[in-house]
Amino acid sequence: MRYLTFALTKGRLADKTLAALEGIGLGCEEMKDKDSRKLIFVNEEKKLKFFLAKGPDVPTYVEHGAADIGVTGKDIIMEENRNIFEVLDLGFGKCRMCVCGPKEAEEKLKHHEMIRVATKYPKIAKDYFHNKKHQTVDIIKLNGSIELAPIVGLSDVIVDIVETGTTLRENGLTVLEEVCPLSARMVVNQVSMRLEQQRIRSIINELKEKL
Amino acid sequence: MENRLLHTPEGVRDIYGDEMVEMITLETTLRKKVRSFGYQDIETPSFEYYDIYSHEIGTTPSHEIYKFFDSENNTLALRPDFTPGVVRSAVKYFMEDSLPKRLCYLGKTFSNRSDLQGKLKEITELGVEYLGDESVEADAEMISMAVELLKSVGLKDFQICIGNEEYFRGLAEAAGLSKAEEEELSEHIRNKNYFGTMDLIDGLSVNDEIKQGLASFSDFAGGPEILDSALAPVKTIDRSVNALNRLKELYDRLGVYGVQEYVSFDLGMLSKLNYYTGIVFNAYTFGTGDAVIRGGRYDHLVEKFGKNSAAIGFTVVVDQILNTLKAQHIEILTKYNRMIIVYDEASYAEAVKLSAELRSEGIDTEMLKARNYISKEQYLSHASEIHASKVIWLENGTRKEAEL
Repeated sequence: MRYLTFALTKGRLADKTLAALEGIGLGCEEMKDKDSRKLIFVNEEKKLKFFLAKGPDVPTYVEHGAADIGVTGKDIIMEENRNIFEVLDLGFGKCRMCVCGPKEAEEKLKHHEMIRVATKYPKIAKDYFHNKKHQTVDIIKLNGSIELAPIVGLSDVIVDIVETGTTLRENGLTVLEEVCPLSARMVVNQVSMRLEQQRIRSIINELKEKL
Repeated sequence: MENRLLHTPEGVRDIYGDEMVEMITLETTLRKKVRSFGYQDIETPSFEYYDIYSHEIGTTPSHEIYKFFDSENNTLALRPDFTPGVVRSAVKYFMEDSLPKRLCYLGKTFSNRSDLQGKLKEITELGVEYLGDESVEADAEMISMAVELLKSVGLKDFQICIGNEEYFRGLAEAAGLSKAEEEELSEHIRNKNYFGTMDLIDGLSVNDEIKQGLASFSDFAGGPEILDSALAPVKTIDRSVNALNRLKELYDRLGVYGVQEYVSFDLGMLSKLNYYTGIVFNAYTFGTGDAVIRGGRYDHLVEKFGKNSAAIGFTVVVDQILNTLKAQHIEILTKYNRMIIVYDEASYAEAVKLSAELRSEGIDTEMLKARNYISKEQYLSHASEIHASKVIWLENGTRKEAEL
């Protein structure tokens, strides 16, 4: 039997994914050793391989078939826009993609006038403003601490992930609009989906039942 | 030296040496195979008017097409895909014929996709188009030919996955979806996004049967038995029923060719190209993350060029096949018939004569003038690099040979 390879997103998402997989009898003991320097972890009995990657790289591995299956956030799947199958909403890692800013910026979202948006997710922001709001938009790509942008006057609003909203509130910002809900998703390579159909579908169905 | 001069732009590459020989061998094998089915070679221009590839005809997204202008300011496009050009030329030259037309081609296609994704912007494709035959037998010829092509290059473990857009279109029509809803739903189904599909369906006011049908696409993938299970929700929808019947007939015809074992079905396989109208099919094998063959029926494309004709075709991505063979450790059987002659000035006439003789026998003969700074070992290692079978030294009137 061929190995099925999983690309998991480093961090909390990987832990939750492994717990979910363990729930259907597909865990990986090797990965529990946090001191391990290994890059690839194997479950010989079930013929599974696992590796950890940065979130935005997961769709890349899966698209090229370097991994058969991947787990990463919906935000990343939308931003990367790769040719992969998004087969399952795993239900954890829930949060929202939102347009946030100071209360005064609300007015700017009501018309089609140009608005400056800072974000880590230029594709999602552009798609939202162009196709949903039909608004002209000037996007500024940032790599972190997006909340700073409207405070220091770099942008009118931001498009970012909101979990609890605490950081926003502490800095005088609020959620102005919701772009879409987010959560962890399972993605599958299109070739693997066909050639390993039975194994992959049974994994999907078993996970679905546990949700 | 200016370093920039040595580099190629992102997404294109040089092919040389053994890989070039392998590529040519592969192309020759594939070409021979399609010709053996009666397909005739055609060559269309590498660039044409942009309109041929534009959105209405629906092939590649506009931003992925290389465009430029001619001296009269017409927009030209480097071909991102062969089919529209071949169809244009077929409409121009062959549409008076009442017999069907079989055409094949081999060449480069270009797409200006994003950088740094490990994807080539210039690839070699071999393809066939079969015009003027709407029958299920034409569909069967396509599928069985695809199987033969993959077998001919040495692949054993592969699958041709067949769908029929009409099944989905019939359901969508019965559900009364708007064009936008239909596109969104087809994207979810194409991406096997069950949750997205369910979200969209929940909001629709249609009967439960249709809902059930739209929600079950993930189950409608597998062996021929799925064609029966897919019938239940569409019993009253002629368009979808016809689509299923067509696939059943096709499967039956593939039995005659003896290729049923390579075939599976997926009714959720909806193409991104706007021009497919009936069956669509992709061939998958390990070693590449993408399909190695893509094809389908596109009866309406011919209409856009002003004629009515049935049409079906597919393209093989030769670069993908090459990668796949390497990943699966399948050897491409290349034949070399090469020799090297090393000569000094005194033996020049003899060397030319000997080379001519060898060449007339079909041996590729390379002549190298002897240099005192090149050792015997260097000649031998060069010979083994180019797979030469023999090195002949003609020096001071003597002849020495070394076989490899």
